[in-house]
Amino acid sequence: MKLWKDFTNGIVKENPTFRLVLGTCPTMAVTTAVFNGIGMGIAATAVLIGSNLIISLINKIVPSEVRIPIYVVVIATFVGAVEMLIKAFSPALDSALGIFIPLIVVNCIILARAESFASKNPPLNSIMDGLGMGIGFTLALTFMSSIREILGAGTFLGKTLFGAGFEPALILILPPGGFLIFGLSIALVNKLTAKKA
Amino acid sequence: MRDYVRLTGVLLIVCVIAGAVLGATNYITEDKIAEQAVKANDEARRSVMPQSKDFEKIEEDKVSEILSNADYDSIREVYEAKSDGNIIGYAIKIAPKGYGGEVEVMVGVDSEGKVSGIKVGKNGETPGLGKNATTPRFQEQFNMKNWTDGVKVIKNGTPKDNEIVAIAGATITSSAVTKGVNQALNLAKELSGK
Repeated sequence: MKLWKDFTNGIVKENPTFRLVLGTCPTMAVTTAVFNGIGMGIAATAVLIGSNLIISLINKIVPSEVRIPIYVVVIATFVGAVEMLIKAFSPALDSALGIFIPLIVVNCIILARAESFASKNPPLNSIMDGLGMGIGFTLALTFMSSIREILGAGTFLGKTLFGAGFEPALILILPPGGFLIFGLSIALVNKLTAKKA
Repeated sequence: MRDYVRLTGVLLIVCVIAGAVLGATNYITEDKIAEQAVKANDEARRSVMPQSKDFEKIEEDKVSEILSNADYDSIREVYEAKSDGNIIGYAIKIAPKGYGGEVEVMVGVDSEGKVSGIKVGKNGETPGLGKNATTPRFQEQFNMKNWTDGVKVIKNGTPKDNEIVAIAGATITSSAVTKGVNQALNLAKELSGK
């Protein structure tokens, strides 16, 4: 079924982080801890679904010449409004995910999906694409942050895993380690998917 | 020519709508957000001084005098902690400069000159390194430190009574928080007149 295909597309085949190599900057920044990775993933998924839906609904009235500025305005407005609402009505959610929301405005996955999918497809398919891409992004972030947090800090979700004798490899939670793990992860994903082809 | 009018017109309409949506959201949420910030501050004060019943901001001119003193450059807000009308300590908000900008910390000092607790709040420290300052393990080290001996940072080993162990890989953050706590201790000492 088409909807199902749109949904699974973002998880493996066109995984935004490992296959499309989009959103590299937030990926580096938040994958230092598993909690941050999951938090960023969930926040980005929510915004992706919302922005994909809006873009898909308005794509008939948007002149193609000025579509990019309009998408940027729509996404920024959506994120800005959501941020204010969360701050006002759900301080608990704000303290957990608040710092990721401003980062999402500059997340190119959102604009990329608006341009390459939502603007050409009906609303329901666009929601499925947003959900699939969001889940793909979340999985990628969780995978990378697990490696970085376990080896780089000796913890998982903030809980200490090893005894006092374990000396964490600090480089993994610093930027160079981020690039190392990112490169190795892409290599691994390429290796695994190449067999099928 | 008509194209230019049409394109800019559509863009203009979209921006006007976006502005209106954001304006309306801001109008609805502004007071609520301010309220939440006050509440969060209040909770931070309560968590570092649980025995206090209420907190009173100290007089304005006294505050500006403190804030203009270079020895107290990390101090931001000073509250008297009261219980049945007696001052039982101070809740002092500090914002020393860490690795990624200011680190907001609420410090509770009781009237005997001991730290009753600290709570690290808003900060821009590196996740996985300096961000670990928000863990209980780091914060609890400051409990019971006193204003006579102050607080010192050591990198590793067993800390003495007036020492804390820095977070691994985040000496700057650890020293910043310690510097702020020392300023809060000195200020509390001065205010209590002891």
